[in-house]
Amino acid sequence: MNDNNGLHWSFDYNYGAQRTETGPDFAHELIKTLRGHYTESGVSQTGAERTTTQVYNVLPNFWRGYRRGDEQDALLRIGAAVIERRKSNDDIWEYSVRYQNTTSGEDMRLAFCCGDEYYRPLKGEWLVEARNSGNDAYSELTYDGYLTSSAEIRLRINSTEIVAGTVNSSVPMTCNWALFDVIPPLAQTIQKSDDGVNIALLDDLAQLRPKNRLGFLESIQTPIPLDGYYLYGVGSLPSYWWLDAHGDIAIVSSTFETLVLKEKTGDSS
Amino acid sequence: MSKHPNILFINTDQHSWNALSAYGNPHLHTPNIDRLHRNGTSFSKSYCSDPVCAAARSSWATGLYTSETGVPFNGGHLHPEIPDLGQLLNANGYKAFHCGKWHVPGRNVRESFETLYYGQRDIGAGGAAYYDSASTHAVANFLTTYDADEPFYLQIGYIDPHDVCEYLHNHEEKCIPNPVEQGIVSEDALPPLPENFNYDERETVLHRVCRRVDDALIHAPILKAVRRWDELQWRYLIWNYYRFIEKVDAEIGRVLALLQQTSLHENTLIIFSADHGEACGSHQMFQKFTLYEESVRVPFIVACLGDGVWVEKNWFDETHFVSGVDVFPTVCDYAGVEAPEGLQGMSVRPLAEGKEIPWREAAYIESNYWGRAIITDRYKYVTEYQPKAVEDFLPPGPDAEQLGVSQLFDRHEDPWETVNLAGEAAYNETIKACREKLLAQEAELHRRRIVHPNPQRVISNWGERLRAYWKHGR
Repeated sequence: MNDNNGLHWSFDYNYGAQRTETGPDFAHELIKTLRGHYTESGVSQTGAERTTTQVYNVLPNFWRGYRRGDEQDALLRIGAAVIERRKSNDDIWEYSVRYQNTTSGEDMRLAFCCGDEYYRPLKGEWLVEARNSGNDAYSELTYDGYLTSSAEIRLRINSTEIVAGTVNSSVPMTCNWALFDVIPPLAQTIQKSDDGVNIALLDDLAQLRPKNRLGFLESIQTPIPLDGYYLYGVGSLPSYWWLDAHGDIAIVSSTFETLVLKEKTGDSS
Repeated sequence: MSKHPNILFINTDQHSWNALSAYGNPHLHTPNIDRLHRNGTSFSKSYCSDPVCAAARSSWATGLYTSETGVPFNGGHLHPEIPDLGQLLNANGYKAFHCGKWHVPGRNVRESFETLYYGQRDIGAGGAAYYDSASTHAVANFLTTYDADEPFYLQIGYIDPHDVCEYLHNHEEKCIPNPVEQGIVSEDALPPLPENFNYDERETVLHRVCRRVDDALIHAPILKAVRRWDELQWRYLIWNYYRFIEKVDAEIGRVLALLQQTSLHENTLIIFSADHGEACGSHQMFQKFTLYEESVRVPFIVACLGDGVWVEKNWFDETHFVSGVDVFPTVCDYAGVEAPEGLQGMSVRPLAEGKEIPWREAAYIESNYWGRAIITDRYKYVTEYQPKAVEDFLPPGPDAEQLGVSQLFDRHEDPWETVNLAGEAAYNETIKACREKLLAQEAELHRRRIVHPNPQRVISNWGERLRAYWKHGR
């Protein structure tokens, strides 16, 4: 813990230049967002819906270089991640993810399918649509991809096809956005393992990161009881994933941004 | 096929020359930049013009040193009368595009280039996690749809591994536990401390005031934090730095993969370099702003994935001193565009084609307005100008009377720069020769008086601190 507010070091950005008398308060924003989910009407689990949706606010970890959104009551909110998933009748999870970032100006929509297994392996084809709201020549890009029978990841961009990597069949591969569903059921396995578990990731359905490790970090009580997990590997920096008692990832912190659970609808059980 | 090639200038930020697996570093994996090396010529003696983002980038944009551009540090302002590369190419039959980081204060990139992507908020110093992937998307769209008659020049400014700066800022005032004790990474996986972790404290006054004293002019809160670090924290910094490089290498990989699948690849020249390096624990230092090798020496590769542009492939040029000021004239040379008079840079094209031509005998580097270095085959000479009693905002030099503390390193016997030989009488003649080279180089420069109030303010404030140190020793 850090002395100033009791938040864990992996998501405490309320310090140094980020902390000014008049500026936005990272800790306040994080706790306010979480409180909205856990104490108000954020949790809505009827069990009747086939689709489960988690909405995360994106906070900047540093005062430098971010462009905040327009909401006056969320000064540090620089975007949102919305993760929808529904289980189809043939034991396939269909994902629809939207990630908006007011600093990059990109609005990404990702559609993909995963098998109904702990590691949520990617299945079939996937589609990514990216739009840029900045005043530049690049306004939108669409690419789709698929896994070949020889375990190649292929991407098609404007009719040009490339190999984005080859999957090692001994390591399960999923999309980074499916990790929100991979970590909860694997939590006990990860905690019991000295070395964590290995996983390959296809970041944003484009960038293969073949060697990553999920490990247990520690449990904390502030701002709510959470179990922490780390993810790191070749081609990626450590990120920290915090799982709540309901089985939801409440906080994800990486180099430049922290995702904080704002609301959830549906029931993924 | 166009007579002149397309030109792709891919640059990373804060990327030291030795942080590539193709150059023998076993602690990271950079298969995509390695691919550029295999398809081109790597210049081993490649140095930035000035080890900080805006300054180095002003040299890329103009072919001039930073005492000429008006951008001797991040708060500078490019002199408006100096033409930039985008303006020149657009006026001479090329279509000039920019994507990603620019960071040349005083020049609106959108007025000189067509910007493929420059962020919703104009990209500043850092933020690879926000911008680099979007830059790749923009370039992917460009490469797979470009059908104009004119050849293109496209510069892609990737930000990583600059995000290591945010890793460092994250440690200000904040106690982050030892990562090995946390179980995040095993000690075996961490790179060792650099051989020059311990250093000779006889450094220039400029360096001490900027980087070493308690209230250092540059990033004092980080300095305070790293003083508390143990060995593992330093090694973890290096480990993190390498992961940032692997991230940007992957972005470059997607660009190269796409380029390879288009008809453009045969006739597209690729230049790869970085604005400056990263100390990464060497001399117990972090970031850039120093004249040590880790901060000033950068990769510089000239490559072509096809056969349409002749370059020596899979070749290390270990002979010629290349500088950041050479990017501008090199691009002009390949583009068949006459470069403006008075450039300090030289085209490396003949070298990449394996030709022998007259070339500079030393690299020249400026730093923090008053700092200077000359690097020869055998020695590195580092010195500083003392701040003038009354500042006139004309960048200093060439004036031996104003020089301050010196450092001299024997690059053969002491490549890690751990012993300052400047105080030894046996090296007086060497110092004298290096100093003559320095002053001769500076006599060739067209230094311009700093007129913008922002850099004037920095020079005044820093000058005041430096004068106090010279007077009182603190």
